[in-house]
Amino acid sequence: MEPIKNPIARLFIHLGLLVFAIYSVIPFVWTTLQSFKTFKDANSRTPKFIFTPTWDNYAELWLRSTPENGPMIAWFLILAVVLLISLLLFVEYIPVKSSYIYWFVAITFGALLWWIPQAVDTAKFYDYFINTIIVATGTVVVSISVGSLAGYALSRYTGMAAVVVLIAALAFRALPRLAFILPYYWIGQTLNLLDTRFLLIIVLVAVNQPFTIWMLRSFFMDIPKDLEESAMVDGASRFTAFRKVIIPIMWPGIISTALFSLLLSYNEFLLVRILTQNNWTLPVAMSPYTGGEDPRHLMIAAAASVSATIPIVIVILLFQKHLVKGLSAGAVKG
Amino acid sequence: MILLMVVPLLISMYLSMQFLTFQTMQDGPKFIGLGHYVDILSDPRFWQSFRFTFLYTFVNVPIRFFIGFVIALMLDQLTKTTRGVYLSIFLLPFIVVPVVGTIMFKQLFEASGLVSWFYRAYLGQKFIYSEGIVKTLIILHGIWYVTPYVVVTYFAGLQTLPKQLMEAASIDGATFFQKIRHIVIPHLSSLTILIALISIMDSYRIFDSVFVLSEMNPIYKADTVMTYTFQTAMSLGRLGKANAMALLTVVGIMIVLIPNLIMSYREQIADR
Repeated sequence: MEPIKNPIARLFIHLGLLVFAIYSVIPFVWTTLQSFKTFKDANSRTPKFIFTPTWDNYAELWLRSTPENGPMIAWFLILAVVLLISLLLFVEYIPVKSSYIYWFVAITFGALLWWIPQAVDTAKFYDYFINTIIVATGTVVVSISVGSLAGYALSRYTGMAAVVVLIAALAFRALPRLAFILPYYWIGQTLNLLDTRFLLIIVLVAVNQPFTIWMLRSFFMDIPKDLEESAMVDGASRFTAFRKVIIPIMWPGIISTALFSLLLSYNEFLLVRILTQNNWTLPVAMSPYTGGEDPRHLMIAAAASVSATIPIVIVILLFQKHLVKGLSAGAVKG
Repeated sequence: MILLMVVPLLISMYLSMQFLTFQTMQDGPKFIGLGHYVDILSDPRFWQSFRFTFLYTFVNVPIRFFIGFVIALMLDQLTKTTRGVYLSIFLLPFIVVPVVGTIMFKQLFEASGLVSWFYRAYLGQKFIYSEGIVKTLIILHGIWYVTPYVVVTYFAGLQTLPKQLMEAASIDGATFFQKIRHIVIPHLSSLTILIALISIMDSYRIFDSVFVLSEMNPIYKADTVMTYTFQTAMSLGRLGKANAMALLTVVGIMIVLIPNLIMSYREQIADR
């Protein structure tokens, strides 16, 4: 729509947006503040906005015993992560082939994760963190590779069967999780697979697959058919055409879908809570801190929440455009 | 996909007719027919949780729409860079892990939280968790959590408004509100139906926020259908009954889902 000129109306617009923004972020800001407070500051009668920050809550959450050079290691890790993120943010401006940079970042990140437990005595929460990474990555890899094949097929084949599959996928996406999870619990029990990452990945893929297929399909629909047809005229098989011609164009769409699939598996609570006893992921690892009478839990819960949110903030920083595109693609087209 | 989704559903149907608990897991299930369904339909707690789920949905969805639409219109008035900043901020509550988001939301209302302090300082009252308060909190959290999604989708929809139509309306002297009433709202109507269906279905299976905010404490009478099913399965260990309950919710969701399915079926046939 064309912009409004009236200055008073514009003032109201800015005010309204500001109020909504504050409403959106205030829990985040407050929790972050709480997570850096000492017990006394966090439970004071009047809220404190100025206080001396402390790492204690994070140390209690992540570590079994506090090492002497703890602050140094913490700063080193923060620095390393910030460096890696800025590498990713400015990847276009670096005169090196970008795929090398991605590999470098991934390998360095993996090395860091491996190195941390060697350097400090980590607590259970770190294991949950690693577990989350493994489960989420596994889910994304499996669901994207299956989903892109299925989505491609469904975008090109338009027979009755394709329509039925699409509608069935939509129906399954809408059903309550519990209707699937309880049977899976039973299957897991009978096959002795309960509490394994394998079962988690399988079930997460099953739950997220309808969504991935729909989203990837809507992206594939945008690619003109002539493209792979001309490749096939030149002598490529359909699969080669798919791999060499379609996939490179599809990258942005695949990234969007992978992001949402990642978020869905990272966020899943109910499913993981039911199917595991020890191999928890982060959202479930959070649940001991949700209630209880112990006021000490307050800051630990805050620290845990902030720790689990940081990856999400990084994802928003790096991929805001893809996220908005994915959200609108899912709604406007799907 | 059929293997992964349809088979569990069939197993669920089978299990819902068996008497099965954690204690009798080894002995294997015992067939009791439709006993569980009768049991559930005469269970007052099930109906209570059903009523709350209903209330949640029908308070939440209209408010989301109103706020979401207004904010999207406001966002549309800004320049491109400021929009990006606002969009990032708005995305945060929607994208953060739901359990974590709820914990953060709850921190405001803890004894030492910002809102409780406000309550004490300006209303002179202590902030106590009670049935009404917990229910209000769950609904408020629902608004906080999903409105950003409505904002982003409406915002994307606003970008596809036909320019000529708007210009023609301006030349004919339409006021801002007339334009919204006669051009923007009709243009977004299909999007509105879609978001409405999605958010009704999502509200229907609300779980995470209730799990955290009410701690599933029966005092607050704030169970939703999902949390009650979860409790039946995990705390009471009655797998068979929980399966039957989950299947009943499937039937409930179908009432909303079927118009949606018919709609997209027609769309697919038309696309062909």
